[in-house]
Amino acid sequence: MAESICRALRDGALEGEHAPALTIKDTLHTPYGFQAFTHVLCSLSSNILSAKSQSKCLVLIAFEKSPSFYYELLRSKGVDVNTMKNWLRILDCYSDPLGWKDGITGSNDAAVKICKNVRDLEKLLSYVLELGKGVVGQGKVRFSVAIDSVSVMLRHAALSSVASLINNLRSNNQVSSIFWLIHSDLHETRSTTVLEYMSSMVASLDSMVHSSNGQRSSSLNIFSIEHNSGKGKFNVRLKRRNGRVKVMCEEFHVEQTGIKFVVISSGNGMVNHTLVPKVQFNLQLSEKERADRENVVLPFEHQGIGKEVQIYDGRRSLPVEQNETSPVLTTEKSHAKADQGKGEIHYFRDSDDEHLDSDEDPDDDLDI
Amino acid sequence: MVFYKQKMSSFSRNLADSRLPQIPGVKHGPNGTSFVSTGIPDLDKILGGGFHLGSLVMVMEDGEAPHHLLLLRNFMSQGLVHNQPLLYASPSNDPKSFLGTLPSPVSPKDDKSRGPETEQEKGLRIAWQYRKYFGENQLNNENNKDAKKEYCNEFDLRKPLKVPSLGAQHIDCFSILESPNLTAFRDRCSTFLAQVPRNDKGIGCAGRIAIQSLCAPQCGYSDTEFWFSGERNIRCSSLNAQRGFSLYVDRFLKSMLRSSNAVAVITFPSSLLSPSLSKRWQHMADTLLSVRAIPDEDKDLANLLTGYQDMVGLLHVHKVAQINTQVPVILDANTFSIKLQRRRSLVLERLNQAPVDGSSGTSYGTSSSCSSSSKSTSLDF
Repeated sequence: MAESICRALRDGALEGEHAPALTIKDTLHTPYGFQAFTHVLCSLSSNILSAKSQSKCLVLIAFEKSPSFYYELLRSKGVDVNTMKNWLRILDCYSDPLGWKDGITGSNDAAVKICKNVRDLEKLLSYVLELGKGVVGQGKVRFSVAIDSVSVMLRHAALSSVASLINNLRSNNQVSSIFWLIHSDLHETRSTTVLEYMSSMVASLDSMVHSSNGQRSSSLNIFSIEHNSGKGKFNVRLKRRNGRVKVMCEEFHVEQTGIKFVVISSGNGMVNHTLVPKVQFNLQLSEKERADRENVVLPFEHQGIGKEVQIYDGRRSLPVEQNETSPVLTTEKSHAKADQGKGEIHYFRDSDDEHLDSDEDPDDDLDI
Repeated sequence: MVFYKQKMSSFSRNLADSRLPQIPGVKHGPNGTSFVSTGIPDLDKILGGGFHLGSLVMVMEDGEAPHHLLLLRNFMSQGLVHNQPLLYASPSNDPKSFLGTLPSPVSPKDDKSRGPETEQEKGLRIAWQYRKYFGENQLNNENNKDAKKEYCNEFDLRKPLKVPSLGAQHIDCFSILESPNLTAFRDRCSTFLAQVPRNDKGIGCAGRIAIQSLCAPQCGYSDTEFWFSGERNIRCSSLNAQRGFSLYVDRFLKSMLRSSNAVAVITFPSSLLSPSLSKRWQHMADTLLSVRAIPDEDKDLANLLTGYQDMVGLLHVHKVAQINTQVPVILDANTFSIKLQRRRSLVLERLNQAPVDGSSGTSYGTSSSCSSSSKSTSLDF
């Protein structure tokens, strides 16, 4: 759930542990990953501002949007621009990632640093650490890192360098938490799996309609894209410290103001129903079955209800008496299928032309 | 004389061979092989004594759970307790810090309390979990217990082991993060293995090699093997460099191991490697294990498996080493649950599950893991 991942990022890392890392992934069918990313970003920002979080600063590596976009975004959430300089640093990889423009040498904004060569990830790492330590200083105070889009990073650098950058950030003592966005259909599955391996939480945005074999609809349905109503499923896999994986599912709606998450009432039952093989026998009784079972009159000598004993031997039907309950049949194969309130045992024969006692061993072959 | 599995029958073969000297930490097994303990008593029983000296043990990691670290930690601690030389490699910048997380052995007086716990369960016996009750007979066998105490210790995962200074204990750590073509790795391994050669004089000392996350994605060389497999070449590289890596690591290491008295335990993230490399390594291994994560707070699993609350993961034994013999080792059960007993010691148990419908064939055939959310997951029993 979105709340729990925001909380995990807010709580940050324990001493001696790797920082928690979140992967947000989306596809073309549900292209709302960026909204989810900004949601997490704003939540972490508000936690930093209210001093509830372990980290005191946020370093944002912006590939897909310009720094001014983020300023606008935070301003629309009610954050004062002037205070942003105290806790927000942006590494601008959007304006001039490959150093093509000669004019831009530095920005007039002290909180923004322009990176001119995104291919050199070692340099990028040093910029990030420099920006972060510039705010929190050396020592025990930590900062968080957000990567706008790892997809763009992977365009410029090899997977192993990106993986080692993330690993270095996670194992750095001063990084509290780190999160990033990736568009999973832009890359080979290996890249996405590697990033999931390196993260402690994986949040994926999936479409509402899941095909039955679980594959994320490789058959492109044109109409499904057009009917993208801004809704979908938000699946989160959290790796817990004890080694178990917590799987959660929510629904999300994208509106003008942003993305909203709604808890599904049916919960986890749907997610894992394929894990449980069917048990061979059903030992449970439904309510109706239980009630009916109570009403069945058993063909024993003593019913325990103080009435006269009727013993039925299976050959003749009982004489019908007004005070008695309806006749019962006893054979080994009868099973309780009761009427409403009466409690009868109905026996359905396999075929109608059988003799009365053909269920038992026929003695025809005996020559006596 | 037929060789029975010790845990399943009341016959137990007296394996103590008086001709060969007894070295603490090394047990002599059938067919002239020797074992060292894995550090986990249950795993020793499952594998028939422990890890064979001279064998290569590979553990397939699950990206979602750190259980391979539990296996490595117990393995390393056991080696340190027996004063065996240890070589440890990991893809982190500071591998020595991992030594601080090694568990220390449980003191003997705590160990006895494990017995009475099973006594309490005698009240209720569940019919289809009958196999669980066979093991109770062995707890009363005093001989077994004493021998086990020397060979394999139970480790308390909450208490760290005090590792004395490196020089005294023959511990060597290094990082495999930065070696571009692993020549440094090869040299370290060969110098280490030279300390524990195998010769006719008998076993002097047994060595242990523990390698964590070989070919993890953050290592620089992890891309080269991928290009070798031919998928999506982005850049070309010389053929020698490509071919060199994967074949040379396992062939080299395996051949060196055979001629020395050491065991190597290597964990690798099989889902992140190219399928061909992963398969090659799986075949190379003498003993192959894999660990898997389980979902948390899963009501269906809780109904299906007993003891779900204590389980932290699953261990699957794919292959057991078959050294000096043509007879394969066939286990009764391959999948075990990893439990933390009283949050401190590692216990492996057979899975006790409810009787299942045979028609749901997918749960037996596929070996999919819990970590892939897009595939339909089913447990592999």
